[in-house]
Amino acid sequence: MKKLFALILVAMMAFASFACTTATPAAATEAPAAATAAAATDVPVADTPAAVGKVYYLNFKPEADAAWQTLAAQYTALTGVPVTVVTAASGTYSETLTAEMDKGAAAPTLFQCGNKAGLDTWSDFLYDFTGTDVYAQQTTKDFNLTKDTGEVAAIGYCYECFGIIVNTALLAQAGHSLAEITDFASLKAVAEDIHANATKLGFDAFTSSGMDGSSSWRFSGHLANMPLFYEFRDDGVTAQPATITGKYMDNFKNIWDLYINNSATAPSQLASATGDQAEAEFGQGKAVFYQNGSWEFSNLTGKFAMSADNLAMIPIYCGVAGESNAGLCAGTENMWAVNSKAAPEDIAATLAFLNWVVTSDEGTKMMAEQFGPIPFKAAKETSNVFFNDANKYIAEGKYVVTWAFNYTPNVDTWRAGVVAAMTQYSAGGSWDDVVTAFVQGWATQYAAQ
Amino acid sequence: MKRERIRKSILTGFFIVICIIYLMPVFTVLMNSFKTNSSINTDTFAFPTAETFTGTDNYVNGINVGEYPFIKSALYSLLITVSSAALILVCTSMSAWYISRVNSLFARIVYYLCVFSMVVPFQMVMFTLAKTANTLHLDTPYTIPIIYLGFGAGLAVFMFAGFLKGIPLEIEEAAAIDGCGPIRTFFLIVFPMLKPVLISVGVLEIMWIWNDYLLPYLVLDRTKYKTIPIHIQYLQGSYGHVDLGAVMALIVISIAPIVVFYLSAQKYIIKGVVEGAVKG
Amino acid sequence: MKRRTQSSGSALSGKLIRRPIQRMFPIFLLPTVAAFCIGFIYPFFKGVYLSFCKFTTTSNAKWIGIGNYIKAFSDASFMHAFKFTALVAVVSLLVINLLAFAVAYALTRGIKGSNTFRTVFFMPNLIGGIVLGYIWSMIYGGILSRYGTSIVLNTAYGYWGLIILMAWQQIGYMMIIYIAGLQSVPGDLIEAAKIDGANGWHVLRHITIPTIMPAITICTFLTLTNSFKLFDQNLVLNGGQPFVFMADGTVIRSTEMLALNIYNTFYLNANSRGIGQAKAVLFFVLVATIALIQFTATRRKEMQQ
Repeated sequence: MKKLFALILVAMMAFASFACTTATPAAATEAPAAATAAAATDVPVADTPAAVGKVYYLNFKPEADAAWQTLAAQYTALTGVPVTVVTAASGTYSETLTAEMDKGAAAPTLFQCGNKAGLDTWSDFLYDFTGTDVYAQQTTKDFNLTKDTGEVAAIGYCYECFGIIVNTALLAQAGHSLAEITDFASLKAVAEDIHANATKLGFDAFTSSGMDGSSSWRFSGHLANMPLFYEFRDDGVTAQPATITGKYMDNFKNIWDLYINNSATAPSQLASATGDQAEAEFGQGKAVFYQNGSWEFSNLTGKFAMSADNLAMIPIYCGVAGESNAGLCAGTENMWAVNSKAAPEDIAATLAFLNWVVTSDEGTKMMAEQFGPIPFKAAKETSNVFFNDANKYIAEGKYVVTWAFNYTPNVDTWRAGVVAAMTQYSAGGSWDDVVTAFVQGWATQYAAQ
Repeated sequence: MKRERIRKSILTGFFIVICIIYLMPVFTVLMNSFKTNSSINTDTFAFPTAETFTGTDNYVNGINVGEYPFIKSALYSLLITVSSAALILVCTSMSAWYISRVNSLFARIVYYLCVFSMVVPFQMVMFTLAKTANTLHLDTPYTIPIIYLGFGAGLAVFMFAGFLKGIPLEIEEAAAIDGCGPIRTFFLIVFPMLKPVLISVGVLEIMWIWNDYLLPYLVLDRTKYKTIPIHIQYLQGSYGHVDLGAVMALIVISIAPIVVFYLSAQKYIIKGVVEGAVKG
Repeated sequence: MKRRTQSSGSALSGKLIRRPIQRMFPIFLLPTVAAFCIGFIYPFFKGVYLSFCKFTTTSNAKWIGIGNYIKAFSDASFMHAFKFTALVAVVSLLVINLLAFAVAYALTRGIKGSNTFRTVFFMPNLIGGIVLGYIWSMIYGGILSRYGTSIVLNTAYGYWGLIILMAWQQIGYMMIIYIAGLQSVPGDLIEAAKIDGANGWHVLRHITIPTIMPAITICTFLTLTNSFKLFDQNLVLNGGQPFVFMADGTVIRSTEMLALNIYNTFYLNANSRGIGQAKAVLFFVLVATIALIQFTATRRKEMQQ
């Protein structure tokens, strides 16, 4: 009796184990079967409706969730294709994507893959965009990710620019103008002058350069882009390098020193200063310069009711020769990738959806509002003045500072080291440590990939 | 005698102070749920002033985040917590009784597996668990209790079995002689005797499940269901930006029912934990 | 009359109790065991299998042998996380248990308001997870920013911050268990000892503590495993900061505990998930061993009474 029960139980446990493993092959065999059926019904177009397929988008930007849900509903009402948009909780995109991709037929058909790290991790799941309608709609291929084999693995759907945002009204109050600032030396002169007169003026030069999690990426990522960009430009780098030389680290130090020494917040206090704080300082008119990007436009004009007329964005100057010819830093980490392991009709449905988003009225309007200018032919104008500035620089023939930091190996770990070093430097430590974290850190992380 | 009384009064006074300090964090949360974000950062312990008082703004923001009605998250949390805890208590107490009365090799193996399961880190099994739940369609709030039973059985079985070891067999034997089958014996006689442990295990399980974030986040069908901890997590915008005021507001809302429940039942709960703990 | 408990066997209880229950196996044991297989056994063994693989999702795993384990062992951050976690576990074990016992002792002396105090001490136990982390992160931020520093700037602050957080949460529950234990100390034994001239300290050492050994077993087991598995609060409170970087550019996350280290390894890069699994398996073996040692040691002391 006892033995019988024990046997049954062992069998049950074994069954549970096998049931779960065999479930996946079953799902996999179902998909091709459905696909051939769909392909068969696809051919006679007139009398049978094409296999519907579905779209499942795993979105990473919580702020854009509401807009995506509305757009999805509109598309479904229009075409009958079910579109599900799920937003991962902030900071958990990798985790959520991993769990969701495991679901076989119910996995996301559309997801984010924005840099080399993502490319490596998900390379088996990236559908080639070459030849698709949405790919043909792009105005520039600069913002796409390609595999070594030449396949277009992910397409950029918006680009952003960052630089130093300036409150021109306050600048004028301090007796200066934008025309004065054309390179690092002039930026430094203006900033130091404002800082020296801060009490009299009632505002300071730079906002706090906080190093907490909500703000440090501006410096370990965006500001660090400057030395990386110039070094890669000099050396003609077009793929992820194993090591970097740190040629422009002195320039990096120049601009960082400028930020931290000309602000109302003391350098030693930066560890816990947040992004919200810096934004509030700028929004409330307590500082003239605020390093950030085009995405700040809606907050500044909305929450803080700043006037678009008083806002401008200038390039980040750091003392490199010829930088008066620099434009803003433009690029993106927002790229769409389609799940190559999804059912063919789902892939087709997803591509159709994307094409609709970038060509239709509703889609382009939503994209312009949520993401700014998109590199597609039917893009709508945006009211974001920062993009006007970016375009102005391009029109004047100035060079675009591309996002060299997209090449960073083990980007989060590398940035963590740089942030630690910069925070400690600001609190009185040595700059050599920052150079070590920057340069040696790159080599170490590259090797650890 | 008088020295004794003075000493006791001093102790009472001492503990009053300690208790006030002990509850400061909770009180600070309550206060900060009515302040603006930047003032929470800069002046954490100050009372809301006219300038920093935000009324119910934080509560409204918190409840409305993510286009998902908070009341739905709250109801799912409640459903999952209550049904999982009930399922765990009933099933594991029965199993612990089986294990302690039928001391077979198999029962002992199950017991030791349970003990071992108490030390497994969730990270080790989280993706596999999510996939399994998805495959077996256990990813709804109505079926997730099975997952909780599976993952939480260890501690419960351990504590019940320990307690049961100390219960004399005579009563059960008497019941058996009177013709009671095992089911009646268990539910009419043993189960009531387990009240103290039921309460202490129940409290542990309820606290764990109500506050749990990672397991429901990975297991539940993301397109349809959220629980309170998940809802709070969505207050984190991109780039590490956290709406602290709304977080504080949601914390108050999520703690409130537990505190109310606890305050009303505390004598009962503490008594139960006291009686049940040591024998386990 | 000696009460017959489980330990004293008898053919009568076997036939009367044992057999009938055994026959009811599908009702009593099966549901739990079935759920246990689904919720623990299968994920656990699949997890062990995955630790020998390279994978992105659990379905596309490729076997690679012990490569992951070699990398896990040679990972300096894993060793560091282990040392830090051990330090947290030992100190929190002492702090929580000593304080919980002290409070339990004080609240069983019959002072006025004991019941209210017990209620208050137990309340923090109701708050857990990331919520607990957010609360203390805000509090430490508020205190430390007055001194121009922050909890993520200083390893020592991060360390003690974690200890205080855990103590605040867990003292209440452990206190209750100790109260239970203290209430079961036979009063007449203490009276007899006092008459024999023993002072309070003597009574404590030779009568009270040995009697409450079972409570000590449970409490030390729970605090030990809780400390080792700590994750949510570690993530929210310090996130492993401050980061110390070495001359070769590697970064040591100085307040990163084992669970957080495993979590970070998972998302490090395309090849690291298998390593994360391997670390998780090692972590499990480690904690199980420590728990086993602690458990048998204290149980043995219990037996001796």
